[in-house]
Amino acid sequence: MQQPLKKRYAFHKPRYVAAVALFAIAGVTLAQSRCAPPDSMKDHFAGKPNAASLNELGYWFGEQKNYNCAVQAFASSLQLEPKQKQFSVIAFMLGVSLYLTGDTKEAIPVLQEAEESGYNDIRIHLLLAQALDETQARADAEIEWRAALEIDPEHSFALDHLSNDLISDTNDKAVIELLDTPRIAPLRTIQQDTNLSLAFSRSGKQNDALRVLRDSVNTYPDSVQLTQQLADVLTQSGSREEAQTVLQVLQARQGANSESH
Amino acid sequence: MWDYKKYLNRIKIQSIDKIKHAEAQIDRVLFLNGTPTIEPIPLSIGKRLKAMTESDLGLEHETVGRAMQTRARSCLSMVSGTLVGTPGVCVVVLLIWPFCLMLAGCTGASLSAPVFAAESGHRVLTPISIDYPEDDSIFPPGITPPTFLWRDAAGTSWSIDVTFGDDSAPVHVISTGQHMQLGPIDPDCVSDSNAPPKLTARQVATWTWTPDEATWVRIQAHSTKAAILKITGFRDGNPWSQSHITFTTSKDEVGAPIFYRDVPLMPSIGNRGVVAPLSQTDIHLIHWRIRDIRKPESHTVLRDMPTCANCHSFSADGKTFGMDIDGPANDKGLYAVVPVQKHILIQGKDMVHWNTDGKVGTVRVGFMSQVSPDGQYVLTTFAGPTLNRLTDGYYVTNFMDYRFLQVFYPTRGILEYYNRATGLRETLPGADDPAYVQTDGVWSPDGKYIVFARAIARDPRPKDQFPATHANDPNETQIQYDLYRIPFNGGKGGTPEAIKGASNNGMSNNFPKISPDGKWIVFVQCKNGQLMRPDSQLYIVPANGGTARRLRANTRLMNSWHSWSPNSRWLVFSSKARSPYTQMYLTHIDANGDASPAILIDNTTAANRAVNIPEFVKIDPDAIDQIEVHVADGTQVESPRNEK
Repeated sequence: MQQPLKKRYAFHKPRYVAAVALFAIAGVTLAQSRCAPPDSMKDHFAGKPNAASLNELGYWFGEQKNYNCAVQAFASSLQLEPKQKQFSVIAFMLGVSLYLTGDTKEAIPVLQEAEESGYNDIRIHLLLAQALDETQARADAEIEWRAALEIDPEHSFALDHLSNDLISDTNDKAVIELLDTPRIAPLRTIQQDTNLSLAFSRSGKQNDALRVLRDSVNTYPDSVQLTQQLADVLTQSGSREEAQTVLQVLQARQGANSESH
Repeated sequence: MWDYKKYLNRIKIQSIDKIKHAEAQIDRVLFLNGTPTIEPIPLSIGKRLKAMTESDLGLEHETVGRAMQTRARSCLSMVSGTLVGTPGVCVVVLLIWPFCLMLAGCTGASLSAPVFAAESGHRVLTPISIDYPEDDSIFPPGITPPTFLWRDAAGTSWSIDVTFGDDSAPVHVISTGQHMQLGPIDPDCVSDSNAPPKLTARQVATWTWTPDEATWVRIQAHSTKAAILKITGFRDGNPWSQSHITFTTSKDEVGAPIFYRDVPLMPSIGNRGVVAPLSQTDIHLIHWRIRDIRKPESHTVLRDMPTCANCHSFSADGKTFGMDIDGPANDKGLYAVVPVQKHILIQGKDMVHWNTDGKVGTVRVGFMSQVSPDGQYVLTTFAGPTLNRLTDGYYVTNFMDYRFLQVFYPTRGILEYYNRATGLRETLPGADDPAYVQTDGVWSPDGKYIVFARAIARDPRPKDQFPATHANDPNETQIQYDLYRIPFNGGKGGTPEAIKGASNNGMSNNFPKISPDGKWIVFVQCKNGQLMRPDSQLYIVPANGGTARRLRANTRLMNSWHSWSPNSRWLVFSSKARSPYTQMYLTHIDANGDASPAILIDNTTAANRAVNIPEFVKIDPDAIDQIEVHVADGTQVESPRNEK
């Protein structure tokens, strides 16, 4: 049995209450604010709104891409009924809305709260990981990328970003463990192949770096980045002739492509 | 005298070698649409051995010299303008002559290759990635032409050369390359809950070549010794890339057709939010099919079933067929056992009712049932007398992710056998301990012992356990099985013994299959549960236990549902190596238990359907034409004859 992600972070505060404080306890009712509900929902807000109607309103604002108002609606809902059945989902929606307003720092604790309350959809891990990366909290971001990969081990977005983080950490062993597996190998992106070959090179495993790059160039033949990296490693390995051929292939392809355009 | 005999033998070997060379040359001329001619040359034989040898040597020198001059002239004539006659260029040209010779069999455009090589000096060819077949692959004789797959940044056309170990003339083909394609889609299996099959980036970059029937027959005929497949990439007529792999065609026939299930992957949410692997209204889309690997298509024998049917098994002689068939009200307690014939009719009288209380229950008391080699018994996992609900003995969770939409395994259960002669079902002592779950029982080929999977019994869903949301979620109930064997002993059973190599290794060892020659067990190993897990890998272990070895045939994703060919030389299994929509593969198992890389069985279903539960059946490929089911609720199901 597992309680996922409980107490994984060094920081937990402030949680969603901070967002609530910021956006909902201003003493302004939604009906009176610029976040007034649409006519189709006005009946719900005639009296005192309940959490369900606020949630519905939050979703509606989200669909309109009005994330500031979505934040107000979801935060008000959580303040009104902090023990509501849909708490984890609404906390997630509040976190998403905050993130989309550009308030990444505020979104993170809210998303963590949603996660700790049991919301284990891959989207929360992906979003939280990205938000943590943006705030340079790479160690925590790595935990979230791995949580996403537990759910979908082939998720290319998560593999791209986790391997980027690990490369930044010069954790080459972890990059190799992550990407040099039979399951992932046929699915690797340009970014993953680049990271893996770099990890091999830095680990003194030039032959493995060449293996990855030669194969990758055959999958992504028009990638200048990969081809140049392959040519570099070949040159470093003393295979200048092959490096020359590889670059000539790219040149020939580019010539052919420009003609066809 | 001894030395003369030795010399004579040597001359004989050389002369045979020369004859083969001549044959190869004739083949090459014929391949180029030329007419080979043979002209006798004056012979100088010599009367004594020394004179004979000197004469032969002179002839050899003369021939080689003439050939070198001719080759130099030929190559130099290809070199344009200023390069002609340059000594350095000649050296390069002569060095690359073997390549010229190979190109001589190609189109005219390819003949410019040496020019480029001469101009650029020595070009290092970049490696091509040959994805299929893998190096050291072994094809079964008679299998339909495979599609070769490779990726190559450099080439825009390819020379494909197959050279043979039996010295027969090579096969040479020029391919402009076809991009990899998805197969046809079954529109009935397109759903909001699945995604259409999609090529990966690697597959998009993949080039293909499928030999025509005659070429493949020729390749198979000459590749019983290792053959080399060499692919050379050309751009603007010049070689830029190359790689090769080795493969063989086995002398071991597969020797039997494969009976399998062909299913849509369409999970659905019911009224109460319950996820089902397939909605009740779509169950009719499940097909049962038979495939002769020598034929390009499969033959459907059963379809349009109103209820679910699952695991099937045949007796070793192929004369008896058994299959789980759900009855009315989702009754999981029915099993059909019938004789194999052209038109199989399953009626109420053929049904074994595992539920002995007379109730139409929902407790699956029969699971992973296996007909004995002689067809007299059916071995099954019985959920146990104390359980009232299916969910008390089985961990079952369905996911909306169509790629891995179901996880199931028993957490309680004992083995029982049904005696067809007496109509009685009895427990099998030694595999009847309620402290354990005992399942996946299979018969040894002589019917004398049983191999099964065992683990400590547990609640399938402990209290406060979070629901699993995806395959291999740590919130799945954890269980790891070990393989055991006991004697059948006329139904008296015996003491279970753990099979070394397939037990107590920190993994779940399950779904054993004993080779018909009795030498090996191939089983599934995974981290948790059994059978079709993302991390399922096939292992082989001596039947009496020993060191388990991972089969080389394992693909990157989900390897399971395996079955032995009657001659113990081939294994068929299911895998998601190329697509989330499961496909069938073959691997050759040699006398030492070594497996070859996986060989895809092409065209077993639509690109958006999955095939599983393949089973080799010792019957003629056309022995079953149709299966007709009169299920327990009275509905008659008839399958169209020879429907594909």
